[in-house]
Amino acid sequence: MRKKILSAVLASALAVSVLAGCASTGAAPAAAPADGASTEEAAAPAADEQVTIRVALWDYSNTEYYKAMFDAFSQAHPNIAYEVVEFPADEYPTTIKTQLAGNQNFDVVFLKDLPTMSALIAGGHLMELDQFMDGDPDFDKANYSGLIEQLGQGGKSYGVPFRKDNNMIFYNKDMFDAAGVPYPEDGMTMQDYYDLAEKMTSGSGNDKVYGAHMHTWASNVSIYARRTEEFNQLDTSTYESLIPYYETMLAMQDAGYIQDYGALKSGNIHYSGVMYNHQAAMLQMGTWFINMLVENADFHWGVCALPNNAGVGNEKAVGGITPVTIGAYAEHPEAAWEFIKYVCGEEGAKVLAATGILPGYGSDAINEIFDKIPETNEFAPEGLSKYINIDNYVVEFPMSEKAGDIDTILGEEHSAIMTGTETPEEGVKNMIDRVNALQ
Amino acid sequence: MADQKKNIQNSNKGALKRKKTLVAWSFILPNLIGFFVFTFVPIVFSLFLSLCEWSAGNQGVKFVGLENFRYMFTQDRSFRIALKNTLYYTVVTVPLTLFIALGLAMLMNKPIKGKTFFRSVLFFPYVASLVAVAVVWMALFNPERGPVNGMLMSLGVENPPRWAASQVWAMPTIIGLTVWKGMGYYMVVYLAGLQSVPSELYEAAEIDGANGWAKFRNVTWPCLTPTTFFVLMMLVVATFKSYDIMYITTQGGPGEATKVLAYHIFNSAFVSMKFGYASAVAMVLFVIIILLTLFQFRMEKKFTNY
Repeated sequence: MRKKILSAVLASALAVSVLAGCASTGAAPAAAPADGASTEEAAAPAADEQVTIRVALWDYSNTEYYKAMFDAFSQAHPNIAYEVVEFPADEYPTTIKTQLAGNQNFDVVFLKDLPTMSALIAGGHLMELDQFMDGDPDFDKANYSGLIEQLGQGGKSYGVPFRKDNNMIFYNKDMFDAAGVPYPEDGMTMQDYYDLAEKMTSGSGNDKVYGAHMHTWASNVSIYARRTEEFNQLDTSTYESLIPYYETMLAMQDAGYIQDYGALKSGNIHYSGVMYNHQAAMLQMGTWFINMLVENADFHWGVCALPNNAGVGNEKAVGGITPVTIGAYAEHPEAAWEFIKYVCGEEGAKVLAATGILPGYGSDAINEIFDKIPETNEFAPEGLSKYINIDNYVVEFPMSEKAGDIDTILGEEHSAIMTGTETPEEGVKNMIDRVNALQ
Repeated sequence: MADQKKNIQNSNKGALKRKKTLVAWSFILPNLIGFFVFTFVPIVFSLFLSLCEWSAGNQGVKFVGLENFRYMFTQDRSFRIALKNTLYYTVVTVPLTLFIALGLAMLMNKPIKGKTFFRSVLFFPYVASLVAVAVVWMALFNPERGPVNGMLMSLGVENPPRWAASQVWAMPTIIGLTVWKGMGYYMVVYLAGLQSVPSELYEAAEIDGANGWAKFRNVTWPCLTPTTFFVLMMLVVATFKSYDIMYITTQGGPGEATKVLAYHIFNSAFVSMKFGYASAVAMVLFVIIILLTLFQFRMEKKFTNY
């Protein structure tokens, strides 16, 4: 008897949960626009109504500029308070996807990368921003060097770039001076880069100094070909352009001009320490490293454009973007837009630039801040604005619904190539086959 | 009169029975509710999802029948690799852990000096955080600067294995870490098992002139079969569903050398946002574990000597 009751309970629970699954997902699309509409009505008439927006981001508590920037915003908009919801940095992409899939009512959502943004747009978890952008006289897309368009999907805009980055070669000037080797220059070929690394490599054992340093991300190779637009993650017919870049990096690894990929990966070694401790003369990294060097370097450093085989100098920039978006379940989208306009606008950009972080917003004032860094930091180079004020900006990873999958595949094959278990040809062939097989 | 008395007795009996039932339910209920909400409902939902396409988006759940399973078995190369890796990992890890744990337990059961100290040392990896232990392990086995390869090279090995940085050695490296991390726990389980072996059996065996091996073969091992089955079952389930170790150490690489089923499920769900497909793979894993467990239960009845 009791067994029967139990099985009846379990069976009905099964039915309920299946129905609940259908019902909740079926009702969601209808609920989202209604939510948006109702809050717009509420927010529009009373501008001085007190609202609190929920802001989702990572690294809030250990990054100084966020609080300063957000407080400045609240002072300028006394009716809008903010509540920060912080998630761990490493797990942020997965966490934010899961949170929004659970219809969390975040108003402002910071995103770490574009594959995550593509997935969220595909899931309908982000609010379209054209309605805000087009009707707002204070907002000018021209300040974002074409990035608003690159952050779009299906002809609609979903995000404003908070930060952007250019990837460059950072080098230790003191080491080049000591070795009597000329500094690396814009427009180097991969062979030039190889030769420089050879000249700058010295010592052995614990005193070994590497000519260059390559971190363990797949983008640490693909970024060279991506900047010249020889390579596009969404088009497998361009993948073979990666082979010569892999060959150069593997040759450098075999010759001991860069540290071994496997050792870096097993040792969990961060690229910054390698430069701070004078263990490498050159490093390919994004502009965020300016901020890290300003705070930590005890040597004179310089930057130059990425080497490549396509004859491109400093006229192109390549890097990732940190977009800010509005969640589809936001309760105060109008206030969220005000917030985004502020942190992604001139005021927010100045706070970022002052710390050596490259804001998404570009202007002469921002360039000036970067050019003034050497006034307060004796080790920083002159003329940094030359590398941040570039109109032709290529996003590191183009937007696509499949971006997450492609990113995983490229990463896996990258590790196979760099550990020497696959030749560059085999690895690239696997990339092509696997990306083509994606549903 | 007599009828009345009987009735009262009956109703008293009924009330008592009801009360007992209620008490029993109230004891089970907190756990049952938790199990129901956080385990049973999600399992059922995931069973349903495995027949659907769902990207956790607002587009809703689309029923696709067995399409996920067709794709898994005919087209998904990563699934085949992950299944193979999982079997490799389990088939090597389980017996290795079992025998090492048993060996250590027998050693620690002997009256040796500093027994408690050694027991603690062996148990320590199990208590320590996986992340910390994994980082230490990877540092030991660093292909360029690791002490293990340093030692091998000073012993005259010219090309020591590149451990986690090699497709061939990555899995053995992770298996080594798993065994080291888990053996302390199973050693304690075996130690408990050893306490229950009646000492008169050993004495009888000794009188019969049994040597060490004969004593182990005919006394210790048969008496430990229930423990061994418990350890075996726990180990098989644990290795089949493990993915945290790979996530921390190699992220499934190099290439896909250490990608196991659970890792593939995680990737499909939270990176590719294919929750339907991930649920389908999870169901396959679930069926494999259930079948193995049932098989082990059967074997237990056959082989244990109780």
